[in-house]
Amino acid sequence: MSSQARQLLGSLVVAAAIVAVVIVAVTARLGTTSVAELEAREDRQKERLEQREDAREARQRLREERRERRGGG
Amino acid sequence: MEDLVSDITRGNVTEVKVVLASVVMALACYQLLLIAVGYGKVRPAFLESRPAAFAHRALGDAIVVLVVVVALMCLSYFGFEDDRTLHVVAAVSLIAVLSLKIVVVRWWHGLGRLLPVLGLSVFGLMALTWLTSAGDFLADR
Repeated sequence: MSSQARQLLGSLVVAAAIVAVVIVAVTARLGTTSVAELEAREDRQKERLEQREDAREARQRLREERRERRGGG
Repeated sequence: MEDLVSDITRGNVTEVKVVLASVVMALACYQLLLIAVGYGKVRPAFLESRPAAFAHRALGDAIVVLVVVVALMCLSYFGFEDDRTLHVVAAVSLIAVLSLKIVVVRWWHGLGRLLPVLGLSVFGLMALTWLTSAGDFLADR
């Protein structure tokens, strides 16, 4: 292979590398677009919200019980 | 056409368009470097002007294909939106100047002296088109 052919091939390989890097970088910036992944993420968010809600209700119940005990005693 | 674009991209038309446009923009920057070597403005030890110019020509053909694909996706799915005047003007001008550049490269060799100006215009319009669409979109993520 001549020197010029090697240089041409090298230039095209660099271009292919640039394309790969840009695809990876932009896709990472955009985040996932998979429907399954998005649904799973939504489910996890919903679950976290429900757990927070349950914890808040439990705290509220505890506070009320303490108040009742104080009022009764 | 709108359904075809949506099917091919599995509903992620904007995202695919942003990736393709960003690839075009990155290759356009590389094209500037290659043609600077091609014209002998930059002389790196590892790349002579002839292979650089040839690579510029080959990549240019690939970029034109990508530009046409992105333009068709954009037109068929989004059309000409009123609130995107700068993007529409830049994109239409880009297609016009790019077409003129192809005609000069392939047939009007007499106007070859205009190629550097046309090339820089194509690069500038490409940057403006990308900034007013994909760049905006990526900045908001």
